[in-house]
Amino acid sequence: MINNNNNNNQQYEKPTIALNRFRWVFLIIALVFMFYVFTLFDLQIIQGASFRAKAEENRVRVISIPTQRGMIYDRNGILLARNVPVFHVTITPASLPASEGKTYEIFRELSVLLDMPVSRGEVNDETSALFTPCYTDFGIEQIVEISSTLWPYSATRVKCNVSREVAMQVTERNNDWPGVDIEIDSVREYPTGENTAELIGFLGPIPEVMLDYYTEQGFVSGRDKVGYMGVENSLQSILGGTNGKRVVEVNVGGEILRDIEEPIEPVPGQDVYLTIDYRLQKAARDALVSELDIWNQRYLEWRGEILSTTGVVIAMNVKTGEILAMVSIPSYENNRMANYIPGDYYEQLSVDEAKPLLNKAISSELPPGSVYKMATAIGALNEGVIGPYDTVYDPGVITLEQKFIEGERVTMTQDYVCWYEIGHGDVDFVHGIKWSCNVYFYKIGGGYGDEVADNGLGIWRMNEYAHAIGYGQLTGIELPGEADGLLPNPTWKRLNQGENWATGDTYLAAVGQGYVLATPLQVLHSIATLSNNGQHMQVTLVSKTTDAEGNIISSFEPKMLWDITKDELIESYIGNNKTGEFKAVEPYVLEFAKRGMEEVTYPGGTASDLFEGDDKKIAGKTGTAEYCDDWANREGLCVPGNWPAHAWFVGYAPYDDPEIAVVAFIYNGSEGSAVSAPIVRRVIDFYFEQKAIDEALALPGGGH
Amino acid sequence: MNTRDIWRRFDIPLFAAVLLLCIFGIALISSAIAGNPTLEGHPKRQAIFMLIGLVALFASAAFDYRIWQTISKPFYIFVLVLLLVVFIMGAARFGAARWLETGLVTLQPAELAKIAIILSLSSFFAANISNINNWATIGKSIMLTGGIVLWIMLQPNLSTSIVILVIWATMLWICGLETKYILYAVLFFAVFIGLSFAFDFPYLADYQKSRITNFLSPDENARYGDTYNVDQAKISIGSGGWFGNGFGQGSQVQLRFLKIRHNDFIFSVLAHEFGFVGTVIVLALLVFIIVRCFMIAKEAPDAYGSLIAYGFGILMAFQTMVNVGVNLNVLPVTGLTLPFISYGGSSLVSMLLGIGIVQSIRMRSSPKEKGIAN
Repeated sequence: MINNNNNNNQQYEKPTIALNRFRWVFLIIALVFMFYVFTLFDLQIIQGASFRAKAEENRVRVISIPTQRGMIYDRNGILLARNVPVFHVTITPASLPASEGKTYEIFRELSVLLDMPVSRGEVNDETSALFTPCYTDFGIEQIVEISSTLWPYSATRVKCNVSREVAMQVTERNNDWPGVDIEIDSVREYPTGENTAELIGFLGPIPEVMLDYYTEQGFVSGRDKVGYMGVENSLQSILGGTNGKRVVEVNVGGEILRDIEEPIEPVPGQDVYLTIDYRLQKAARDALVSELDIWNQRYLEWRGEILSTTGVVIAMNVKTGEILAMVSIPSYENNRMANYIPGDYYEQLSVDEAKPLLNKAISSELPPGSVYKMATAIGALNEGVIGPYDTVYDPGVITLEQKFIEGERVTMTQDYVCWYEIGHGDVDFVHGIKWSCNVYFYKIGGGYGDEVADNGLGIWRMNEYAHAIGYGQLTGIELPGEADGLLPNPTWKRLNQGENWATGDTYLAAVGQGYVLATPLQVLHSIATLSNNGQHMQVTLVSKTTDAEGNIISSFEPKMLWDITKDELIESYIGNNKTGEFKAVEPYVLEFAKRGMEEVTYPGGTASDLFEGDDKKIAGKTGTAEYCDDWANREGLCVPGNWPAHAWFVGYAPYDDPEIAVVAFIYNGSEGSAVSAPIVRRVIDFYFEQKAIDEALALPGGGH
Repeated sequence: MNTRDIWRRFDIPLFAAVLLLCIFGIALISSAIAGNPTLEGHPKRQAIFMLIGLVALFASAAFDYRIWQTISKPFYIFVLVLLLVVFIMGAARFGAARWLETGLVTLQPAELAKIAIILSLSSFFAANISNINNWATIGKSIMLTGGIVLWIMLQPNLSTSIVILVIWATMLWICGLETKYILYAVLFFAVFIGLSFAFDFPYLADYQKSRITNFLSPDENARYGDTYNVDQAKISIGSGGWFGNGFGQGSQVQLRFLKIRHNDFIFSVLAHEFGFVGTVIVLALLVFIIVRCFMIAKEAPDAYGSLIAYGFGILMAFQTMVNVGVNLNVLPVTGLTLPFISYGGSSLVSMLLGIGIVQSIRMRSSPKEKGIAN
């Protein structure tokens, strides 16, 4: 051993330590420090950029400054949606008194004022991870304990939505209670509530699926709310505004030290003025509700059950396409969603068979029934299937030889009846509409022997005309969830039903039954277009938008989409084949169609009783649309030959220069004329009466 | 040798390096205040302790180091009494009683214990240098060390205990301990560690266990959790780059993301604000001081002087390696300070006193041909 040798050699000299072991010491020191220098190089130079990024992440915080959502008004400036302040009590842990005794004194006093315990619950990793201000059972002490470890310099909400009085008391004690503050937040309030809920909608938290979309626009998940339904949803980008931004330097406690970049101020959302006239909206709703009440009362007496709870009324300016009222019942209390969406209430709305959350005016696809006959009528006349004065014989019932393919052997026969069982006899064009004679429309729509030319209008051409007046397509109204309805044709039937198109399908389509589906808004739009001499206007809900100072940003201009008497939209067909040739609708065709609709409210017309004494020159079309949907099926209502029916009526006035059109739809309403027509009449009456008052008021002042 | 001749052998480069590090340490501590009022007086206090330490340095250099041979026994007993007092009525801080409130200053007897153990063991080993490979000698040295370490362990202060045990082991080894004893020791440790695992380290406090667990398997999701300090230290060091953020300019330090930055993590402050270049220069100075101590140990006139210089060299080397290792996250967190730089009066005065004794040894050793230059 080296050491022993050393000792032996130096036995007689002064004894010393094992000097040759120093080289191991130096070796170890050299290795360790070389390793450290290498590690330093790795951290500082090789990985330096990533650590610098992490240091920046520590230091820099981006703060979103919340913006104000725009208000919603009706066309006359009646407030439909606004922001109201709510007060939250907050505690900033770092600003509480240093003395624990004083802090607990504040907690105790606060506990009495806020009616919440000083201490409740146990703070551990799990419960503090789940902690959400406003939605917690913790006592004040626990909330402060959690927030002081997470964000000691930030104000944490201890109690949310306190009354103004409590907020005042807290503010008054500001000096005694350092660290305790009031945070003013805003929630949406809808002064007109349920009366406009189907139009306005409500707000909710940013949904998970839209997180990226809204985050990109600078919205903060968990804080900012976005529109869920109605115009709150569809006009979100206009109403929402833009959050401001501060890039600040913070220290480890989250205390803001300075702005690193110039702060960007929030841009408030624009105020939106809808085309809705709230007075008319309210009148339409009242008309619908009270009419339903009357009928439900009658049905309770007659049959022991109510008729319906579901209905739609829409009013529209036919010249401009502005929607003046849109009612869909049942709807919901959108003010109940102000602070948060209550789970039980939302669940209740979601499972309700009447679909209160759905705006049925635009989202329900329904058989339009006899209202749809107007499409068949103008098609047949324009195509020369029948002349305006040619008559067709209605014996009350006709028997059809079903043909699935042209020239096929007769395979089966089926009876098609007119609603008027003894028949209308000889029927010409205007009376076909006036009496809503089914057989007339069966024959001109699907042909019947040699009675009409071309073997009837046929489904392809019928669809061309229906499409030209707005069926089978979105109107583009500024509301979410619009449906486009259905114009069936042989190709569609083969693909979706796996069957060939039969002549009987054309018969049914000609009277708006069978596979044809439309939304109430489409039905209204189609009649509005006819009444407006074929000018198809863009439907709209937005009258104008202004910035927060009231400067007009955009203002509504009526927009004509097309004129069916001028624009060649109708493609010609030979059999099932397009010819590539287009034509417009002859103006005289519309004159006869309108004459027919005028006659509807005249003596002898399908709605004559209900328009007795009418001085508003109301024309229109009734519709009693048989249906058999899931609900009716379950209720056992779908008796063959005696299906339940929806009630439709579309009216417009005055018929010599129409300015308003109104549709009323009652789900399961049984008969269009009896149930729906009175609603339309009341709405139109109200419109003109209100107009007269407005004009009288406007004249002396010379305003407006 | 007259006094003038003696002072000619005063190791100026060693002294200069130490002084440089002390001053630099005060600068780093003043940067580490970062607006924290409780740290505000620290640079001034550290400066005062440096002056006290320098007086101690020159005083101990002036006296022949051999007088410690007679003082070391009372000094040992004095430190032992201090440790007992701390143990019995010490103030509880950070879950451990380590400080002694004297009214004027708070004394950390564990720092003095390091010096006491170096001096006592040097004295003991020098007297038994020819008789090292002997169970009786080894046993006595264990008793001598254990008499102090026991109370430090009970504080509990594991890191200082380990420092003292390392000093004992390395001193025993440098005295020429035969390999077979080293093998015994290795065997003993293997069994000890094995039993420790079997009984879940009953001698460790919970916080010590969690430090080791966190080092071995850090929790990736911990934001303000147990790995926060080392994570922030790593970010501070890494973001320093070549030349650092500049004195008083480091965001990690000034915005207080880095914790215990005036003490255990002052190395991170250095790396953050002075970068790779500044850090390597400081490490080089520390290595220079350590190596210088070992050179003096080799040139010392007697085994006693050699052992003292060697002991202080080991003390500084071990503390530096452990402290830097903790900052670089290659070792688990311990409370060991960075010599001359970290805040701490007891530690600084002890270190400067040690340097003074080492200077005294060099001043009293004759220059050899291939000895230390100048």
